[in-house]
Amino acid sequence: MTAPVIELENLRVPIGKREILHGLNLELTSSTVGLLGPNGAGKSTLINTLLGFWRPSSGAARVFGHDVRTEARQVRALIGYMPENDSFIANMPAITYVRMAAELSGLPPEAALERAHEALFYVGLGEARYRKLGAYSLGMRQMAKLAQAIVHGPKLVILDEPTNGLDPQARLRMIRLILEMKALGAMSILICSHLLRDIEETCEEAVILKAGEIVHHADLEEERASNRRFVEIETEGDDGSFADAVERLGCACAVTAPGKIKTVLTEGIEIRDLYRLAADRDVQLRRLNYRRDSLEDIFLKAMEK
Amino acid sequence: MAVYKRTYRAYTGPLTSPAWRFLVLQRYALRAVFRSRFLLIGYIACFWLPVFAVCALYLNQNAGILAQVNQKPGFMTVDGRFFLLFLQIQGGLAGLLTAFVGPSLIAPDLTNGALSVYLSRPISRTEYILGKGMVVGGLIASITLIPALLLFAIQSSLAGYTWFSSNLFLVNGIVWSSLLLMAYLILLGLAMSAWVRWRIIAGALILAVFAAGKGFGAVVNAAMRTQTGDYLDVQHLLSAFAGSLLHHVADGEHVSASAAFVVLVVFCAMLLGLINRKLRVCEAAG
Repeated sequence: MTAPVIELENLRVPIGKREILHGLNLELTSSTVGLLGPNGAGKSTLINTLLGFWRPSSGAARVFGHDVRTEARQVRALIGYMPENDSFIANMPAITYVRMAAELSGLPPEAALERAHEALFYVGLGEARYRKLGAYSLGMRQMAKLAQAIVHGPKLVILDEPTNGLDPQARLRMIRLILEMKALGAMSILICSHLLRDIEETCEEAVILKAGEIVHHADLEEERASNRRFVEIETEGDDGSFADAVERLGCACAVTAPGKIKTVLTEGIEIRDLYRLAADRDVQLRRLNYRRDSLEDIFLKAMEK
Repeated sequence: MAVYKRTYRAYTGPLTSPAWRFLVLQRYALRAVFRSRFLLIGYIACFWLPVFAVCALYLNQNAGILAQVNQKPGFMTVDGRFFLLFLQIQGGLAGLLTAFVGPSLIAPDLTNGALSVYLSRPISRTEYILGKGMVVGGLIASITLIPALLLFAIQSSLAGYTWFSSNLFLVNGIVWSSLLLMAYLILLGLAMSAWVRWRIIAGALILAVFAAGKGFGAVVNAAMRTQTGDYLDVQHLLSAFAGSLLHHVADGEHVSASAAFVVLVVFCAMLLGLINRKLRVCEAAG
């Protein structure tokens, strides 16, 4: 049996005398996980704990089965980390920087150079790889950070606010790269972001933190699937008989206001069945849409807890 | 070289030994340091005394050449005083070298937050300090410890076994005093680089701490009418320690080797604490 990507067991992490993470329990197995939460929720502390920068006071955190407290070196060897803040050496060319990062992860110098070229081409900085990092634009620096995070072929890549400060085009490029990396299946990805849209577009699972506690753990794939069965309908005509007919199909149905119906389609019932029922009863379907319980809704609900 | 364009593959090749991975930092930092021609010229200039000393040792034992200038062999006594003077001059140059090299070691990593990238890899804070420290350490050793030991070896080969056996204690003095000087200067350079981001100010502070202790110590001595101010003068402490081990204690010297050693170790521990504190904060802050 393969170990979960990240496993937290009653994890408590203090910084100084203040406890930041209060007994987190979690098991993440998906290849892409989003970490959400307002400022001060403990996202960065959790990432720093996984990297071994902060020591838990009790409980355990494991990455691919390796305890972050006792096997920090092994854990770090498995991780590629793209920090949120600037992290470069201004007067160093990108190729040297990424090569050095690879060598620090244990690649021999020759292999590190080859991988640095590959990684920079992969993130789209191939033509600019000999330029100094200090001369890069913000978008290019983000890509360089991504290149150094993946150059050594980590099993888990932690991306902290990967689209921070990017213009729409650069953001799309970053999202496309993350999706490509996800599709390749060579690594798991943990994305920490304030932008719910980024998480929604790229992740299979989302963990929402608030005040050092996990307030929601959503399987986004499952949420998306269930959302597809929840339908909101606006009708013109005899909505009562229409609602009865829908219920007779076995679907839970509620008339929330005159002409407004909400229903959950059961297995085997499709939208065309609703059209047929409406046609039989001479009811006009003015509007019909899946109620999309977006990640934003999930996030806001979690924040109310 | 084959470059994979726009694709990604996991690395499955061999890995280097984790024990020596800190040398990667040393290699890259050394390359960055020697990009400055000014420093390269300065570093080469640090070898004038060792070269001069080799020539002097050779002439000192060469009766043929000395006869031509009406001198007898052995015009110069090679003893603890000789090596103490050599280490004092080279130690001063090592201080200057540290003032140039030290500020460029940690500050660039902190300026743009590169530290979190280093430390998120399988490398510890201790290894980071070791890797960066070896840059200064290597340079200092190359102008103090190594030439001093070479001079001892050359003198031994020229003067013979009797001189070698009766002066073997000099090796002990050379090694320990050079190591103590190296440890102090490495930590001073790294601490200033970690806490002061402006290179020129950091360099000036290194020189000030290393050299101005003499003046500060004298002021303390004069104000308090004691000799405790000498314990604040790092150069005095290093000289007292080296002089004692090289069997050439200056007249009126009241600082013992053990006291000098303890005070210098305390200074080193304080500097190490400063470095660690700064790195600890920056590591987690990213």
